[in-house]
Amino acid sequence: MLRYALRRVLLMIPTFVGITFIAFLIMHLAPGDPVELYFHGGLAAGIQGASTERLADIQKAKEAERRRLGLDRPLPVQYAVWFERLVTLDLGESFKDNRPVWDKIRERLPVTITLNLVSIFLTYLIAIPLGIYSSVRAGSWPESLLTTSVFMLYSLPSFWVGTLILIYFCGGDYFLWFPPAGLHSLDYDPSWPLLRQLRDYSWHIAMPVVCETYAAFAALSRYMRSSMLENALQDYVRTARAKGLPERVVILKHILRNSLIPMVTMLADLLPSLIGGSVIIETIFSIPGIGQLGYQAVLARDYPVVLGLFAISSALTLVGILLADLLLAVVDPRISFGRAEQ
Amino acid sequence: MNNERSQSYRALVWRQFRKNRRAVASLYGIFALLGVALFADLIANDMPYYVVMNGRTYFPIAIDYGARLGLVSWPGALRGVDFKKLPNEGALFPPIPYLPRRADLSEESFSPPTARHWLGTDQLGRDVASGMVHGARISLTIGIVVAGIQLTVGILLGGLAGYYGGWVDLALSRVFELMLAIPTFFLILTVAAVLPPSIYNVMAILGLTGWIGVARFVRSEFFKLRGLDFVTAARGLGVSSSAVMFRHILPNALAPVLVSASFSVASAILAESALSFLGIGVPADLVTWGSILAVSEQNTFAWWLAVFPGFAIFATVTAYNLFGDGLRDALDPRLKV
Amino acid sequence: MLATLVGLCLLTECSNREPSAPPAEEPESTREVAGPPVRGDWLVQWMLADPQSLNPLTSTDAASAELQGWVLSSLTTLDPQTLEQRPVIATELPQVAPDHLTYTFRIRNDATFSDGKPLTAADVLFSIKAIKDPEVNAPSLRNYYLSVADARAVDDSTVEFRCSEPYFRNDVILGGISILAKHFYDPHGELDGVSVADLNRWDTLAPDKKQRALRFAQSFNRDFHRKILGSGAYDLADPDRDLITGERIVLRHRNDFWAPGDVMRGDGYVDRLLFRVINNPDAALIALKAGTLDIMGLLPLQHLKQTDTPGFRKRFAKQIAFTPSYTYIGWNELRPMFRETAVRQALSHLVDRDRIISKVLFGYGEKIDSPVYRFSPEYDADLKSYTFDPERAKKQLDDAGWTDHDGDGIRDKVVDGVRTPLGFEIISNSGNTTRKNIGLIVIDEMRRAGIDATFREVDWSIMLEKVEKFDYDAVILGWQFSPADPDLYQVWHSSQAVPGGGNMVAFKNAAADEILVDYRREFDKDKRIALYRRLQEIILEEAPYTFLYMPKSITAFDRRFRDTKWYPTGGPRLSEWWVPRAAQKYGM
Repeated sequence: MLRYALRRVLLMIPTFVGITFIAFLIMHLAPGDPVELYFHGGLAAGIQGASTERLADIQKAKEAERRRLGLDRPLPVQYAVWFERLVTLDLGESFKDNRPVWDKIRERLPVTITLNLVSIFLTYLIAIPLGIYSSVRAGSWPESLLTTSVFMLYSLPSFWVGTLILIYFCGGDYFLWFPPAGLHSLDYDPSWPLLRQLRDYSWHIAMPVVCETYAAFAALSRYMRSSMLENALQDYVRTARAKGLPERVVILKHILRNSLIPMVTMLADLLPSLIGGSVIIETIFSIPGIGQLGYQAVLARDYPVVLGLFAISSALTLVGILLADLLLAVVDPRISFGRAEQ
Repeated sequence: MNNERSQSYRALVWRQFRKNRRAVASLYGIFALLGVALFADLIANDMPYYVVMNGRTYFPIAIDYGARLGLVSWPGALRGVDFKKLPNEGALFPPIPYLPRRADLSEESFSPPTARHWLGTDQLGRDVASGMVHGARISLTIGIVVAGIQLTVGILLGGLAGYYGGWVDLALSRVFELMLAIPTFFLILTVAAVLPPSIYNVMAILGLTGWIGVARFVRSEFFKLRGLDFVTAARGLGVSSSAVMFRHILPNALAPVLVSASFSVASAILAESALSFLGIGVPADLVTWGSILAVSEQNTFAWWLAVFPGFAIFATVTAYNLFGDGLRDALDPRLKV
Repeated sequence: MLATLVGLCLLTECSNREPSAPPAEEPESTREVAGPPVRGDWLVQWMLADPQSLNPLTSTDAASAELQGWVLSSLTTLDPQTLEQRPVIATELPQVAPDHLTYTFRIRNDATFSDGKPLTAADVLFSIKAIKDPEVNAPSLRNYYLSVADARAVDDSTVEFRCSEPYFRNDVILGGISILAKHFYDPHGELDGVSVADLNRWDTLAPDKKQRALRFAQSFNRDFHRKILGSGAYDLADPDRDLITGERIVLRHRNDFWAPGDVMRGDGYVDRLLFRVINNPDAALIALKAGTLDIMGLLPLQHLKQTDTPGFRKRFAKQIAFTPSYTYIGWNELRPMFRETAVRQALSHLVDRDRIISKVLFGYGEKIDSPVYRFSPEYDADLKSYTFDPERAKKQLDDAGWTDHDGDGIRDKVVDGVRTPLGFEIISNSGNTTRKNIGLIVIDEMRRAGIDATFREVDWSIMLEKVEKFDYDAVILGWQFSPADPDLYQVWHSSQAVPGGGNMVAFKNAAADEILVDYRREFDKDKRIALYRRLQEIILEEAPYTFLYMPKSITAFDRRFRDTKWYPTGGPRLSEWWVPRAAQKYGM
């Protein structure tokens, strides 16, 4: 077991290199050049540039810029340079505004992580009881109704729901139950008492959290349900019943405990999504999160930022997968990872 | 002869499935959608089924099919005409006499549902009902093709990893990790922003980034199954590895894979509509459910642009999800009484 | 939407004569002057995206420019009403030597930066040096100042610039330099020993001077993203408190501003300028209605459908004005099918501009036929428009030999020995719904005329590449008008039809070339006007663009503000807005 874990950890490194290299290639091979974007970005706003009599000057300036950004070297070299910096935890500077990539990510990370943590917590909070109820009452018509509703929830496109929420619940012509944008009220002041800050913040992230959560808890409750149902048929349950234990104890103590295990392993799978922001929700609710950062960076061909995000996200994913697999192996003795037996 | 005992697996599953009314309803829904998608050209088209001009009868829709296949060419009299404006001695138009991509400025734009346009029009006067019908074709095609790609790649790679284990599994698992670790949406965004917009590209991207779930699932199924007796028996009899994999193990693992196929279709449709909504990857003059929905985001008073396509996406995805769920319940031998 | 943004961003800069179209809604309570302006209250504006950086030279986005406009001052500025230059830091307009090469500015001795330090000629000199330093990350800005040969501080309050060639806009360009505080941006005085002339001959410059310029540039490029110091009436003294990414930026009024009450020099009456960052126009409208925004540019539909209630009209006034920008379809003349003038003219007749304006812009736009701003004196009012006339277009194409020879439904012709179908792809940048709708409408009409037209949206960076390399058929783009003293050289001169130039359709016309060159050296305004009248006729005749429209902007703002005058160029001067004490909403 330990050897397996160690092997996996060592193998993570080439995988990580592979991922980042692929991302690197995609970004660089894509048409569109950040230097050109910078120089001629005025075109987007319809601003005429200066005359090109000094075309040579402009070309020189572009080349100097490319040199400065290291874009004139062959791709593998560029990758090596980037990776070298990465190993020292230096993500480089953004092409757009020269700020350190890590700073840009760092200032948005708390928002995204908070949003995701709250969302995950709520998801589990709702999904587990829902799943339990669903499995216990399986086959009855209220449960059937519940299942259908859950599936319908799961099938609602998030951008639709988000837009509808924005229009109908966030002010404008209908209800102003929640704020339409941002994380803080207009007159926010860091000197507010903590409780008031918390209330303000929660009020602002409520709807984004709802949008992120409804599909997740729908899916998770189904997993819970099937997990419970599977375990309900195991022999030890029959034994427990035969022993005369009350049904409630059987369910809550025995079945539930075993059913929760895959739920927990799934948590490890959720690790990478912690820092993944949803571009759609962030755009609709104007949340300054990682999703928006990534999206803008792709559009602006801001390679360092894109690669930085890729690197962090893939690192977390790899760790998450490893944890999930390890936990699973510990729990389920049926699975062996060695070679096929002869 | 006792028929019950020798009932085939398929019949057994079907009987179990039928008991689940919700799942059966979703199956009917899927059939209806498939019907709409197949016959879209006959349901919504701005060319008539037949038209009589100068004593001669023409079948424009059929001619159109033929012309597109290269079999026939348009008779001179009919080239490029607007059938609705042409004087004729008789013509029969499909129930929705519009094509979704004709931006007709003479039609009222942003019209709410009326007798003329049953589901309203968008900003350019394009009929929404027609867009829904033809959009069904696009959504279903994308859903099925994407799911197909995901299944094929996933079964292949997952099966190999699960059956052989050892180094093969180690290497393939690294590939899985690689694919899994790449933030998919990000990747899709990047690639789609870069490639010329076309639904083929969208299908390829979605297919090639979404097979990991299937692969991992198949892999764990193969792990469980390869240790079972029937496999040992087959190997003992000298059956080759690939035959063991694909003719013995796979059929047993197939059932749950079909379940995930259904979910794949659902999520592919959702993903495509999200991309359409963001305006990525889909050509500008292609009308899809997501693209109609996108117009509604900027024009919130035009509720018909939000309700109908949103509902269509939602209903389709629900149908596929319910079907998959029903299939899963029907296939699970342990859930039978 | 881009046009609306552009409209808002041009607020502090543009100017021109009176528009011929009156504003649609006159807010009653804001016209009467209710006494002398008083200070106080805040003005809360909307920003679509965060400013990239506060660095006055290296940032290129509109949000940064807007903030810098409040915090920094320049030597002179454009009067939005009379269109003439007015002194700000300068005491008067510059003295121009007879050879039009030397410009002398005298500057005020009472101007101070917001940290209290005085502004002197040394700061002005430093500012031009910073621009000219090739290692400073501002190449596109530097292009405007290529002809500045040298500059020197004659004394503490006099600066002299020497240009290498005569150009009638030199005084405007020099006057527009934002004055940077030397003690803030170059605390170690690296550029002290380097002159503008030195920076001009970078390649042969002595190594020690190069080092100094390099050192300066490195720290300048890197250290000034989140802090800024200027001599304007507002400052951003505490970025940690007032510059919150993704949320808001707060600029506060300086009590020690050196020209109190002088709006032309930049003073404003509100205590704070608050910019809320909201990425989504829907959310922004909701914020406006909820009272958390004071002013916002509305999209036509928002104006027509979502802000029509009596309740809204009681709290907000709306102003409709022309935005000095225009949208067009450019036909790449390097493509075989666009070489003929007749074809381009026919295509122009196939575009139904009235319908486009009414359907896509909901009526908030006006047809234009020239790259010159409608309300500029240079504008030729007698131009004959291209009417929407498909029959005429078809005939024109037939006459030019473009008919359907091979029976496939598409016109074709033998060009350079090859049978070429009349087919092309129109591109525009993705994310712009207006242009997409225009494209779809246009190709539909063209298809009906036997042209195989298609439309595609592309990512902006790809679009740039294609357009620069002339690797496209037709494009939908826009330009901003320069309301005062336009110079169309970059866009229309044949020498600019190179990768990176502004002449992206490869328009080459000898007569136009001559006019464009003569114009730049003409210092008599009336003669310039005559030259450009002729130019517009040529351009319209040759039809390298199909000119589409000039959009109108709709701005909604809280009625509590007074002196909300809209200037003929398309925007108000926000610095003169004030709120009577009784109606003030926000405290200090």
